[in-house]
Amino acid sequence: MKLRPFLYLAAISVVLSAAGPLRPARRPRYGGTLRVEIGAIVHSLDPAVAAANPEEAGAKAELDALLYDQHSEDGTFVGTAGSGAFRVSAWEAGKSAVFAANEDYREGRPFVDSIEIQMGRSAHDRMLDLELNKADFAQIPAELARQAADRGVRVSASRPNELLALVFLMGRGATENARVREAIARCINRAAIVNFILQKEGEPAGGLLPQWSSGTAFLFSTEADARSAKEIWAQISPSPKLVLGYDSADALEQSVAERIVVDAKEAGISLVSRAIPASEKANVHGGSESPTPHNEAIHADARLVRLRMASPLPSVSLAAFIDRLGPLAVINGSPLPKSASPEDVYDSERSIINGGSVVPLVWLPQVYGLSARVRDWKQPAAGESWPLADVWLDSTTDAH
Amino acid sequence: MRRLPRLFFLRAIIVVTFLTLTGWPSRAQSTLQVPPEWNKALDTLAEKIAATAKPARTFSLDVRNISSLNAGDVSGLRQTLVEDLTGLGFSMTQKVPGEAQLQLTLSESAEDYVWVAEIRHGEAREVVIVSAVRNLVEKAGAGKPSLTLQRKLVWEQDERILDFGLVPNGNAAGASILVVLQPDKIAFYDHRAEAWHLNREIAIPHARPVQRNVGGRMDLQAGTATLVDGVCVGEFQRPETVTCKSVPSVPDADLALMQGNIVEGHAALASNCSGSPLLLSTGPGDWTEPDFIQAYEDRNQREPIAQPIQFPGPILALWPSEDGKTARVVSRNLQTGAYEASTVSVSCGD
Repeated sequence: MKLRPFLYLAAISVVLSAAGPLRPARRPRYGGTLRVEIGAIVHSLDPAVAAANPEEAGAKAELDALLYDQHSEDGTFVGTAGSGAFRVSAWEAGKSAVFAANEDYREGRPFVDSIEIQMGRSAHDRMLDLELNKADFAQIPAELARQAADRGVRVSASRPNELLALVFLMGRGATENARVREAIARCINRAAIVNFILQKEGEPAGGLLPQWSSGTAFLFSTEADARSAKEIWAQISPSPKLVLGYDSADALEQSVAERIVVDAKEAGISLVSRAIPASEKANVHGGSESPTPHNEAIHADARLVRLRMASPLPSVSLAAFIDRLGPLAVINGSPLPKSASPEDVYDSERSIINGGSVVPLVWLPQVYGLSARVRDWKQPAAGESWPLADVWLDSTTDAH
Repeated sequence: MRRLPRLFFLRAIIVVTFLTLTGWPSRAQSTLQVPPEWNKALDTLAEKIAATAKPARTFSLDVRNISSLNAGDVSGLRQTLVEDLTGLGFSMTQKVPGEAQLQLTLSESAEDYVWVAEIRHGEAREVVIVSAVRNLVEKAGAGKPSLTLQRKLVWEQDERILDFGLVPNGNAAGASILVVLQPDKIAFYDHRAEAWHLNREIAIPHARPVQRNVGGRMDLQAGTATLVDGVCVGEFQRPETVTCKSVPSVPDADLALMQGNIVEGHAALASNCSGSPLLLSTGPGDWTEPDFIQAYEDRNQREPIAQPIQFPGPILALWPSEDGKTARVVSRNLQTGAYEASTVSVSCGD
C-alpha cells in the first residue's frame, strides 16, 4: 500500500477535440449472452483428460479459466468446476457449450448472463460471423488481422507475446554442425515474413523475449545476411539436404516455412519444407509424457514452433520456453529464478541464441475480433486468460 | 551580404565561456535532478562499465532513449553517468576511430527501466545492464487558462475504493482523518509525520459475494456509508463509534439506484470564478480507457470552459464534496492497476 498525503497536483494541458455536449459514460450493465466462436475442438472439460493436441489444450485452458476459481502453480486448474465466474449449463462434446454466470462467484457475478461457445469454427467462418454480427468474440489469426479490419471487424490486438521460432531438432546428424545452423539462421529474411506474410501484424524476433518484456531485445540482430550465409554454406562439404517441418494445420507456419525455403535457396542452401501431421506433432511438441524427437516418421531436421509467453515477466517466460524446448533441441540454458536480474536474463537468452539450436523468427500478437456491443474487453496480459467475466454487452447495440 | 557586427566574436567567446561554466551543473545539482534510486543504479552501471572497459580509459559516449523517459530525464542521466565515470578516472571524447565507444541505451522492460551499456573496442563488444525503478516520479503539466481544474491525489491503493473523504479528527484538534470505503470494509487513517497511518478498519459483512461493479457512497456529515447490501453508521470523526452491518438488498434495483450518479458521471460545483455553478463531467469511455474530467457551465453547453484533466484510467465515481467546492474522484490507474482517490477543484487564473 502506498501513501501519498496531498502531494500531487496536476494541471492539465491536453486538449480534447472530441469534447462535445455532455454524453453519458458507458458503464457496465448486467445481462445478455456473449456469443463466442473458437477454432479448436474441445472433447472434454474433465481435468483428468489431457487434451489431444496443443491447440485443444490452449482452448481447454481458456474454458477452464472461466469455470475454475483457482489453479495450481503448474497452471492446471483445481477445485470444483463451476467455482469460477461461470458454470456449465450445456455441453455437446466437440461442438458447443453454454456457460451460465455464477451468481455466487467470489469476485462478483459476471456481467453477461451466459456465454455460448461454438467450437471448430474455421478462421474464415469466425471472421465472417464477426462481420455479419453473428458472433461477439472470436480469435483471429494475426496474419488475417488487417484483412479483418478492412472488412469492418472490430479488432483488438495484444502486444506481441507469441514467438514463432525455428528449432533444430536434437539427434539430427546434419544439423549438429554449428555452421549448418548458422548458415540457415543468417539467410532468413524476417522483415519479409512480417511485411508480406503477417501484413505487418508482428515484429521480427532476434531474441527469445520481446522488447516490451525484457527491454533488451534490441541487442539481438534481426537482419538477414544472405551473403555470409552463402559463404558459410560453401565451406560445408558435403553440403547436406535438410527438411524443415511445420504443423500441417497451421497456415501461418506453412507460409513461413515456404518463405524460409526461398531464402535458403537464394543462399544456395538445400532446404525443403514438409507438413507434419498433428498426430506426429504431439510428439515433437512435448505434449506426450515421453517426447520422441528421434521419431523417424517426422523426417525433419528442423521445425517451426510457436511459443506463447507464460507471463509478462521475462524470467518466467524464458524459463517456460526452456522447459518447452528442452525435449526438442540442445538448449544452452537453465531456468532462472523469478527474481533474476535483467542482466542474468539477457545472459541466459544470449547463451541459448549463441547455441544456434533455436532461431527466433517473429513475434505475434493475440488478435481478437469483437462485435460492436462488446464493452470493457481488455486484452489479457501474457499468460492470463480471457477476462470474459468483466465484459458486458451494450444494450444500445443489439445483436442480430 | 551582411557583415558580422563588430565585437561579434568577442561576444560569442564570452557567451560560450559563460555557458561552459554555468551550463554544466555540479554533481550536487544533477543529483537533485535524478532521483536517488536512479543515481544508485547509475553508480552500479558506472562501476560495471569501469570493470568491463579496462584497459581503456577514454571513450566516446552515445546515449539513445527507447523508453518512456523524457528528454529532461535523459539529459540528467547522461550527465550523472559522465560524472560517475569521470570520478572513476575515465574521460569522454568525441568519437575517434580506434578509441573505445560506449553506447548507453535507456530501455524499459515490463517491470522497470533497463539501462544497457555496450562497450565496443575494435571487434570486441561487451554488454552490462542495470535496472532502475519506474513510476518514481509523476510530472504535472501546466496550463493557464482563465479557469483551471486541479487534481490532487489524496490516496492510492491496490484494493478497490468506492468512496473516500476527509473529516476532522474528533480525538486530536487540528488533525484530519482519511476515510476510505471499500467493498468489504471501511478504513480510517490518521495523519501523522506527513503520512497517513491506519488507525482502524471495520469489516462490512455481506450476505453473499459482492457485485462485480459494486457501488458505495459516504455521507461524511451524516456519518453513513451505504453499499448495495451493507451500511456503516457512526461518527466518522471518532472511528471507534462506527459499526457496519449487512442489510437486505434487491440487487438490480439497488444497483441502478446506487449507480445513478456514477452512470451519469456528473457533479455540480459552486464556482468561485463567474459566480455561476459548474458542472463537472467524465469522459464517454468505458473501464478500459483513460478518462478525463471537464467543466461546463450548463448541461447543454458544447464546449468545456477549462482544459480537461486527464486520468490514466477510468473514473469510477465522481461526487461533489459536502462544501460544494471540490469533487471527490475515484479512478483506476490502468498503468499501475492501483485505485486512486483524488479531489478536483476549480481555480480562477489570469
